[in-house]
Amino acid sequence: MNSLPFERRLEILADSAKYDVSCSSSGSNRRGAPGGVGSTTSAGVCHTWTADGRCISLLKILLTNACIFDCAYCVNRRSNDIPRAAFTPDEVVRLTMDFYRRNYIEGLFLSTGVTRSADHTMEQLIAVVRKLREEERFNGYVHLKVVPGADPLLVAEAGRYADRVSINIELPTRRSLALLAPDKPREAVIAPMRQVSDLIASARAERKKSRKAPPFAPAGQSTQLIVGATPESDREIITLSEGLYRRLDMKRVYYSAFVPGSDDRRLPALPTPPLLREHRLYQADWLLRFYGFAAHELLDEDRPNLDMGFDPKSDWAVRHLDLFPVEVNLVDYEVLLRVPGIGVRSAQRIVAARRHARLGEAELKRLGVVLKRARYFLTAGGRYLGGIRLDGAGLVARLLAPEKRPARLDQLELFPAHADASALTGEL
Amino acid sequence: MTACYRYDGTFEGFLCALAACRESGGAEAEFLRPGAESGAGLFAAGSLDVATERETALRFRERFVTAVSREAFATLRYAFHSEAAGVEQLVWRYVALGLKKGRQVQRMLAQEPVCSVHRLSRRVAHEAHRFTGFVRFREVAWPADGELGGEAGRDRPEVPLMYARIEPDADILPFIAPYFRERLGDRPWMIHDLRRSALALCDRGTWRLVGGVSLAGRPDYTAGEEVCSRLWRSYFQHMAIPERHNPRLQQSLVPLRFRAHLVEFGGEE
Ligand code: SF4
Repeated sequence: MNSLPFERRLEILADSAKYDVSCSSSGSNRRGAPGGVGSTTSAGVCHTWTADGRCISLLKILLTNACIFDCAYCVNRRSNDIPRAAFTPDEVVRLTMDFYRRNYIEGLFLSTGVTRSADHTMEQLIAVVRKLREEERFNGYVHLKVVPGADPLLVAEAGRYADRVSINIELPTRRSLALLAPDKPREAVIAPMRQVSDLIASARAERKKSRKAPPFAPAGQSTQLIVGATPESDREIITLSEGLYRRLDMKRVYYSAFVPGSDDRRLPALPTPPLLREHRLYQADWLLRFYGFAAHELLDEDRPNLDMGFDPKSDWAVRHLDLFPVEVNLVDYEVLLRVPGIGVRSAQRIVAARRHARLGEAELKRLGVVLKRARYFLTAGGRYLGGIRLDGAGLVARLLAPEKRPARLDQLELFPAHADASALTGEL
Repeated sequence: MTACYRYDGTFEGFLCALAACRESGGAEAEFLRPGAESGAGLFAAGSLDVATERETALRFRERFVTAVSREAFATLRYAFHSEAAGVEQLVWRYVALGLKKGRQVQRMLAQEPVCSVHRLSRRVAHEAHRFTGFVRFREVAWPADGELGGEAGRDRPEVPLMYARIEPDADILPFIAPYFRERLGDRPWMIHDLRRSALALCDRGTWRLVGGVSLAGRPDYTAGEEVCSRLWRSYFQHMAIPERHNPRLQQSLVPLRFRAHLVEFGGEE
């Protein structure tokens, strides 16, 4: 495995890692060791975008793509006939430093297949990050994957060196997990998540008392769910995410449209990955995290799935027309956030500006508020901006008409065309 | 009558011009960087050359920060570096309003000139943020003495030099240099703004700007550099998922004008 040339191994291990979608390098405020190399910023920095439009901010690779397990959805599963390769920890360290110095990346995202045992694999991952921190004095961002089933002591050690740790849930229900990932009982996933969540909380409490207390995964933990490989509804998925955010204080839940390609008979035969559904789930997720929505407001038993024609906020608003229009000069910030088309930053600007001037349509435009959708839900100084009477059917037609549905959608189209701070708020 | 202030084109010089303008109580003012023509023409009350003095600039900044706020000063500083036509007059009106109204200027977002200053400022801050990701350093062997205008080549350290070139719309070097000082603390580096013939130079933890530079020849990349950029290109290509292929989206995220200097897009080959 290690006899292949370095460049070839990099190709193989990058290929196998690319389906892990987490990319963000944001949220770490760990202070670096003086005299070292690198820093972490609290806002994420994207360095480039691949031909599929996904951002690269981290060197995302596997230590090895050999795996003793056989999860049906995973390219690295034991039964898949693909070339296998491995890096030594030293090789990963050198590559990370070389790429970081040239400003190709913000840091390292290191995952791996499971070799020999969960503990052995976890020790290898820790060796990389320990060398980076202690020998190279590397202060940049490191995201480590926790191997399900690894010893809690190793999990704790990983979080001492890494900025973020993650354990992928992959499948929303116990039933699906048992079906597609028979080697990974749900407990092996949930137990370390709980442990990490507790360790993060207690490290935070310690650091409140003393600045010198060691941080633990200061950028928090994240996880990933595969969408479309199993029959769960959006409601099940979003409710699970809500629980992960509220109960385990998860920093991010990533959704990955299932990329078909395996001939495993346990998997559905999809022609293409369900990208639009993935996109809608990210939008709904945003509403949970930044807009004060609860999962049950977006989806319920009668409507278990997100509307594919509409973003979930517009969808919610159209079902609650009795609450609109609202007066832009008066309503609370929380209400502004619920207006389709008004994002976090627009709402903040409105609240700041209206203390000094009464806002009409011209003022809103000057503030940079995009009124395309918002106008149907707003009055400004008592004047309705929509132009037509607000009623369900007509409004839906209006909202849908001007926007040609793009043929392709992707996770990143959530963001405005740039990678500035609005990428962190996702204006909806 | 419009008073006309000629300054040296730097932000510090501009602050000195603002200070001079305040002192003479001038309401109507025009600020000219080198090479700029006065628009006031016949009505110009003659022009005044303003000397750039660090002390004066600092004092003026203090005055503005006390009267308004640190954030408002940062905002106008970003806006100034947009180099947009007429930005000096715009910032001048912003400063005058700020000194009159104090803190609340920051919230007068729906009114001019605040709204335009904020818009320019956001644009520059955004571009600077983008370039924290788009700068690509390459490892070069130290050039022979004299090739970098004599100055930078002196007393060469043993470690290689990291060199990057960029062509941003706005003058963002002063905003990104501190960021890269944090990141590349253990190496000397320079970022070369080709459009402005300016360099940000950093060595042993301190950085400064140098103007009017041009390279005598193609930089001499080290052997390690060639290997590393090849690995990066290959990594970049292998990260794309074919089933999600979407070049239109990619192009809106990495516009063509940036690609000339991005290794992974075959820049500078
Ligand atoms: S354990 Fe991880 S790497 Fe191995 S097959 Fe399952 S998902 Fe893939």
